[in-house]
Amino acid sequence: MGAIFRDPVLFATVLGANLPFFTMAVILIFTRHNPRLSSQLSVGSIAVSAVCAISLLAKLFFAPALQYQTLWFVSGKLNIVFGYYLDPLSLLMLTIVGIIACLVQIYSLGYMAGDPGYSRYYAFQSLFAWAMMNMVIAGSMLQLFIFWEMVGLASYFLIGFYYEKWSASQAGKKAFVMNRVGDVGFFLGLILLLLGFGNLGIPELNHAASTHGLSQGLLTASALLIFCGVIGKSAQFPLLTWLPDAMEGPTPVSALLHSATMVAAGVYMFSRIFPFFSGSHDAMQFALVIGTVTMLLSSSMAMVTYDLKQVWAYSTVSQLGYMVMALASGGYFAGVFHLTTHAGFKALLFLCSGIFIHEFHTNDMRIIGKQGGRKLKIPMVCITVGALALAGVFPFSGFFSKEAILSVLAAQPNKIWFAAGLFGAVLTAYYSFRLIFHILLPMGGIEEKHHHDDHGGSSHEHEEEHHGYIFWAMAIPVMILAGVSLVLGFAEHPLEHFIMRSVNVPGELAAHGGAALQTVAHVAAEGAGHAHESGSPMLLILGVSAGLLGIFVAWLEYGRKGASRKGFLSHVPAIWKLFDLRWFMDVFYRKGLDTFMYAGLTSLFTLNDRRIIDGGIDGICIFTEGSGRLFSFLQSGMLQFNLLLMVLCAGAAVLYFVI
Amino acid sequence: METSGLNTILQFAFWVTVALTVAGAAIAVFPRNILYNVLGLALALTGIAGFYLFLGSLFVALMQLLIYVGAICIAIVFAIMLSRPLHISAPPRPPVKMWLSILASAVFFVGVVSVALKTKWQCAAGHVYKASQWSVENIGNALLTRYELVFEVISLVLLVAIIGAVITAGYSRRISS
Amino acid sequence: MNSLSTYLIISALLFSLGLLGILQRRNLIGMLISVELLLNAANLNFMAYNRFLAPDPVVGQVITLFVMGLAAAEAAIGLSIILALYRKMHSINIEAAQKMKG
Repeated sequence: MGAIFRDPVLFATVLGANLPFFTMAVILIFTRHNPRLSSQLSVGSIAVSAVCAISLLAKLFFAPALQYQTLWFVSGKLNIVFGYYLDPLSLLMLTIVGIIACLVQIYSLGYMAGDPGYSRYYAFQSLFAWAMMNMVIAGSMLQLFIFWEMVGLASYFLIGFYYEKWSASQAGKKAFVMNRVGDVGFFLGLILLLLGFGNLGIPELNHAASTHGLSQGLLTASALLIFCGVIGKSAQFPLLTWLPDAMEGPTPVSALLHSATMVAAGVYMFSRIFPFFSGSHDAMQFALVIGTVTMLLSSSMAMVTYDLKQVWAYSTVSQLGYMVMALASGGYFAGVFHLTTHAGFKALLFLCSGIFIHEFHTNDMRIIGKQGGRKLKIPMVCITVGALALAGVFPFSGFFSKEAILSVLAAQPNKIWFAAGLFGAVLTAYYSFRLIFHILLPMGGIEEKHHHDDHGGSSHEHEEEHHGYIFWAMAIPVMILAGVSLVLGFAEHPLEHFIMRSVNVPGELAAHGGAALQTVAHVAAEGAGHAHESGSPMLLILGVSAGLLGIFVAWLEYGRKGASRKGFLSHVPAIWKLFDLRWFMDVFYRKGLDTFMYAGLTSLFTLNDRRIIDGGIDGICIFTEGSGRLFSFLQSGMLQFNLLLMVLCAGAAVLYFVI
Repeated sequence: METSGLNTILQFAFWVTVALTVAGAAIAVFPRNILYNVLGLALALTGIAGFYLFLGSLFVALMQLLIYVGAICIAIVFAIMLSRPLHISAPPRPPVKMWLSILASAVFFVGVVSVALKTKWQCAAGHVYKASQWSVENIGNALLTRYELVFEVISLVLLVAIIGAVITAGYSRRISS
Repeated sequence: MNSLSTYLIISALLFSLGLLGILQRRNLIGMLISVELLLNAANLNFMAYNRFLAPDPVVGQVITLFVMGLAAAEAAIGLSIILALYRKMHSINIEAAQKMKG
């Protein structure tokens, strides 16, 4: 224990990562009925965590990776350690999580004001932050997995926060179950590694994979299984439908969920053991395919929905697909950088949308636009900034990270990935500006809104004052995030040096050779050698023009005067329906559930329950009763008969022993 | 020889006692009239008191007469008079039960007798037979020193039994009436 | 006359007769009488062992006295139970007392 207080770095780590947990406990146990105090506690503790994270980042910016660990338990030959691993990646992610969680909690002061579950909300937020921070700095895959599950649990609580709403509780369940599907694979992968390799420490794994300490078969199998976890958590292709449904939670939760914590966890885990993954060419190819499919599918879905939050949800999925693509094609820094910038601008987008939703009590972008969404200047500007960043327009952060990804993709031997990436960029710009134009330039102008006049009256003044507090609590984090989105892109170089410093692995890979690994190493080296310069100006032009093309198409259809505001897809109702129904994935799952689970397994289980378990219990009852009846014959009430038998037996025994 | 004459008389008396005891026991068991049974029991108990005399313990023999023949038999007679009128004849004995009981008792008898005969009985190390040791003083000493606790417990049991008997008989009367 | 086995056989005979009584009598008082026979057979054994084998001649007599005391208690309780039973069932037949039959 003493070591924690002697070492300031360790102290800051432990304090920063675990304070939210104690806050949660205190809120749930003591201050539940005092929402104000609960929120202050929670915001205070997450602020401390954020400060700890930032100071750690600053202190260790030029230091080598640090590892703290202590023996947790020993099982046979296995030593399971518990510890923290502080390298550039985890420090960066810790900072992101800390800052975003802090901003979201400040924002929630306004957004959630007056909610009956205010204390509960903050308790779960703290739990969420705690789980995510601990996951980020976990020193071994087992520890990471534990907190990974905690993150899933916390997100379940928050998605189903309005549990009295049927759809919300269903969405929470769906998120939880779909994550389980992926996590089973993840866990199996870990077991496989434990059996085959015997050590789950992250540095050890990375080192072993890069120095051929693992056989190729084991590596590929376990990497594929672990990637299942990424698919579940980061809502990749087969398991992506939970994320749009997760919009049922409060909007700040969505912001947190989509930017820095829940879904980022999958990509973070991918990059955490990136050298391990890159040891298996097949697994990387698989991930690349999954990422691409996810990106395109979810972009297509985002093009047709009118729900504000749904658009951002689909865009999150597609951006995650981008990150997976980048990582899978060897662009370690590109993936991590996009994760970073995306955390910023996606939180921004959600929080801005939250202001609109809070103001107009609807998720429909058309109604928001009609009721005068653009009159809210601050969120309108900020959401545009976020959308520009998402679309990858020049000075905004998304531009830099998207360029990095595209240059990585362009370096792939097969150009189809690059084309898919470009196409995805067009789609991204299109759907995000479709939303912007819907709000900014609504069809038929702005209607006079009656909403607030109804609310006026005697308490109008007080409400205005209260409203001001709420508005600024929400607006300030939004403005901060907008600023971050503006400047973060220019921090690419220092970040790159910072991140790539820890990954000397690709170099090692190249030194060790291996035909399959060559490309990865090559691409990574190229990424390290800087995307913009090694990538041709052609690439730059292509990337920017993709974004601009998307925006232009959106303007053509939604922005310009006399535009139909329907979208080119509405001319093909079949495709519209296909996109709107998420490519029938939910229908497919529902069918699968109905036929396989309910008709098949469940009926079997029912049968088992009725016949075997109930029947078994009935059988025991019948047996007991029957045997009781049988023995009750002996209780004949005939005293002398009993006595007679006794004497006969005793006499026979005596005779037997004597004679 | 005077001693041998005395011996013969004693021998004769012993076998007469045996005959009386066994006859009494048989009367106590077999007749269907319950009053005969009690009288047979009294006869058998008296015979056993005679055995105690032959075994040299006058005190226990007296106690036997006092407690068993005097108290218990009288109590049984009282119980008979309080319960069923004697003139009501009982249902006949089922023969199967009769024969089975006889078989069981016979088996037991044969077993115990064969044990008694087969065993080589040996005297304990310090065994001496002296009439002086059979005196009442010795018994009183033993009762109030070595076996005092048992003595007390027996007294307690007797007390509880008396109270219990009173309550069982008395309350049940009140309940039934 | 002065041998242990004579007494043992006599007591065994008494015991068997008592046993027979217990087994076949249906009259509860008759059974009680048979129980007294059993107790006396046991007592006789004690006295005989005491006379022929025991190192301390007092023990057997003391035990016999205790058994007598217990027999008195047993008779008192037994008879009162029989009386109670008779009042309840108007019979002292053991085969009628089958209310606790399983």
